Amino acid sequence: MYRYDEFDAAFVKERVEQFSDQVRRRISGELTEDQFRPLRLMNGLYLQLHAYMLRVAVPYGTLNSRQMRMLGHIARKYDRGYGHFTTRQNIQYNWPKLRDIPAILSDLASVEMHAIQTSGNCIRNVTTDQFAGAAADEIIDPRPVAEIIRQWSSLHPEFTFLPRKFKIAITGAPNDRAAVKFHDIGLMAQTNGAGEVGWAVYVGGGLGRTPMIAKLINGFVPHEHLLAYLESILRVYNRYGRRDNKYKARIKILVHEEGLEQIKGQVEEEFAQIRGGVLTLPEEELERINAYFAQPAYEDIGVVRLDVEREKIIDPAYGRFLENNTFPHARPGYTSVTVSLKPIGGAPGDATAEQMEAVADLAERYSFDELRVTHEQNLVLPHVALTELRAVYDGLVEAGLADANAGEITDMITCPGLDYCALANARSIPIAQDISKRFAAPERQKEIGKLKIKISGCINACGHHHVGHIGILGVEKKGSELYQITVGGDGSEDAAVGKILGPGFVAEDVPGAIERLVDAYIARREGVDESFIAAYRRLGDAPFKEALYGAA
Amino acid sequence: MKILTGNELLSGATVYLDDQGHWVEDLQVARVFAKDEAEALEAAIAATKATGRVISIESEDVQLTDEGIYPSRIRERIRAEGPTAPRFERQHLAEDEHVSI
Repeated sequence: MYRYDEFDAAFVKERVEQFSDQVRRRISGELTEDQFRPLRLMNGLYLQLHAYMLRVAVPYGTLNSRQMRMLGHIARKYDRGYGHFTTRQNIQYNWPKLRDIPAILSDLASVEMHAIQTSGNCIRNVTTDQFAGAAADEIIDPRPVAEIIRQWSSLHPEFTFLPRKFKIAITGAPNDRAAVKFHDIGLMAQTNGAGEVGWAVYVGGGLGRTPMIAKLINGFVPHEHLLAYLESILRVYNRYGRRDNKYKARIKILVHEEGLEQIKGQVEEEFAQIRGGVLTLPEEELERINAYFAQPAYEDIGVVRLDVEREKIIDPAYGRFLENNTFPHARPGYTSVTVSLKPIGGAPGDATAEQMEAVADLAERYSFDELRVTHEQNLVLPHVALTELRAVYDGLVEAGLADANAGEITDMITCPGLDYCALANARSIPIAQDISKRFAAPERQKEIGKLKIKISGCINACGHHHVGHIGILGVEKKGSELYQITVGGDGSEDAAVGKILGPGFVAEDVPGAIERLVDAYIARREGVDESFIAAYRRLGDAPFKEALYGAA
Repeated sequence: MKILTGNELLSGATVYLDDQGHWVEDLQVARVFAKDEAEALEAAIAATKATGRVISIESEDVQLTDEGIYPSRIRERIRAEGPTAPRFERQHLAEDEHVSI
C-alpha cells in the first residue's frame, strides 16, 4: 500500500492547521458563513438536514487495518458509533460537531487520510475496481496509476476551480466493476499489438439529471503519457466547459454539445504540445510507486479450490457465503471476500465502529493488512487464503457481517436520501429496507440470481439508479414521495441507461412492483443462467411494462 | 403561514425561531408568521444573520392542524423528526449552543 512521502505528509498537516484556524475564526465570528462555507466544503464538511456531514476520502477505496480502526475510532469518539460507506468508495459521518472537526482531521492525518477534495469543483477521489491487484481477470493492477492520478490531482492549482466537479474511474480488468463509462473520465487497461499495456480513455460519462455513457476518445494512451493526456482533457474542459449553467457544466454536456470529434481535436492539439514534457512519468518514479503495490507474500497453501457443494450440505449458510461472497483471485489458493454491508432490513453501506474494528482485525490477520471499500457500498478483504476462509467467515458472523448476499437482489446501492441529505426529494433507505425484507429468503434470492437494484432519492443519482438493472428514483410530488422505476440499466462494460416504463409508485407499492418485475423475468428466462439484464435485453420492455402496469 | 428554521452553527442541529426570539429545537413552539407579517419575518432573518450563529436559514410553509404546526414539505417534516430509517434522534444543542436574537 502507498505510504505518504514528505510532500503528502506536509500538505495534509498544513491543511489541517489551516482549517483548524478557519474553524476557530468562524466560531469567534471573524469569518462569516459566506466566507467559511467554501472553505469547509474544500475540506469535505457539508451541512445536511440534521447536522454537519464529513466526507472522508478513501483513495481508490484502499485501506489498511490501522486506517480502518481510525475510521471506527472517529465514529465512536466524535459521531454516533457508525459511518456510511458511499458509492465514491468514501466514508461519511453524519453527526460531527464543528468544534470537533479539527481533531477529526488531525486523527485522520495520523493515519495518512484526509477529507480534501471530497467536495467542490475539483478532481475528486479516483475510484477503481474493488478487486484491483487481486482479480484473476486483471490485465494490470490499476492502483499505481490511481495513486499517480491522486498525486497529480491533489491541490492541482490549475484544476481547483473547474466548471464543475470531476470524477475519474480506472479499471485494470476487462470486466468493468468500477462503472468507468459513467465517469467524467473512465480508464480501461488495454494491451496494444506489441503487448504493451496502456489505457483506453473514455470521456463525458455521467449520471445525474442527464445520464450519458462516456465516449472513447483515445483507444490507447501509453502508460508514460497518461498524465499528459488527462491534463489535456482537463485543460479543454476547464477552458470550454459551461460555467454559465450549473446543470450544463459537467464535461458530459460539453462532449455532447460540441461532439466527440471536436473535443478530441482540441485534446489532441493540447496533448501534442505537452506530450513528452514534465508530465511524462519517469521510469524510476513508476517503479517507486509500483513497489508500494507489490504483491503480498503469498504462500503455496496446497489447496486451490473449495468444494462449495459439499460445504453447502454441511453448513448451508457458509456454503451460500462461499458461493456469493468470494471472487476469483489471480493467485491460486487465494480468494477475495466481499463483506456485505447490506443486512436484511438495514441501511445499505452503514457500519458500526465495532464492525469496522472487527473487519480491520480480520484484514490484519488474514488479508495481508489490506481492505477495500466498494462502490457498491460493501467492504472487501482482497487476499484471503482458502484455508483461512472459514476463520474469516466465523469472524464475520461474530461481527454481524456475514450476510451472504453479494451481487444478489438485496445487495442494493442506496443513497442516504431524504433521511439525511439536503438535496434529496424522497427517502431511499426505507425503500431499500422494504425491498430487502420482501426478498429476504436466501432461496428466493438464489432463484433470482444476479440482479442489481440501485436507489436514488433525487435526480442527482448518487444511488446510481440509471445503471441499476432495476433503478428506483424518488421524487416529490404534491408534498409526498413518489418512486419512478427504470429497467435495463447497466454500469458494467456493457453500459446502458435504464428506461422509465411508466408512472411512478407510492412507497408502499414499490416492493410489490419490484416483485412483479422479478416474476416476469423468472417466467420468461431461458434458464437459470440467463440473468435479469440478459433477459431484458432479449425480451425488450413489453413484458416488464406489462408486469408493472398491466396489459395495455 | 411560515416558520423560520435553520441549523445552529456549532452542532449543526435543526432549530426554529420561537416567539421569544430564541432559536429552539422544538418545532411546536416555533413562531408562526402570518401572511401579513412578511416584514417581521425579514427582520428576524436579518437579526439572526447578524448573530452569525444560525446557518442555512429558511422560511418554510406550515399549516396549523389539531396536532399543531405541520410543515408542508416532507423534507421539513423529516428535519423535525430526525432520520426515519433506522430512527435516530435529532442532533441536540449543548448548553453553549443556544442562540437568541
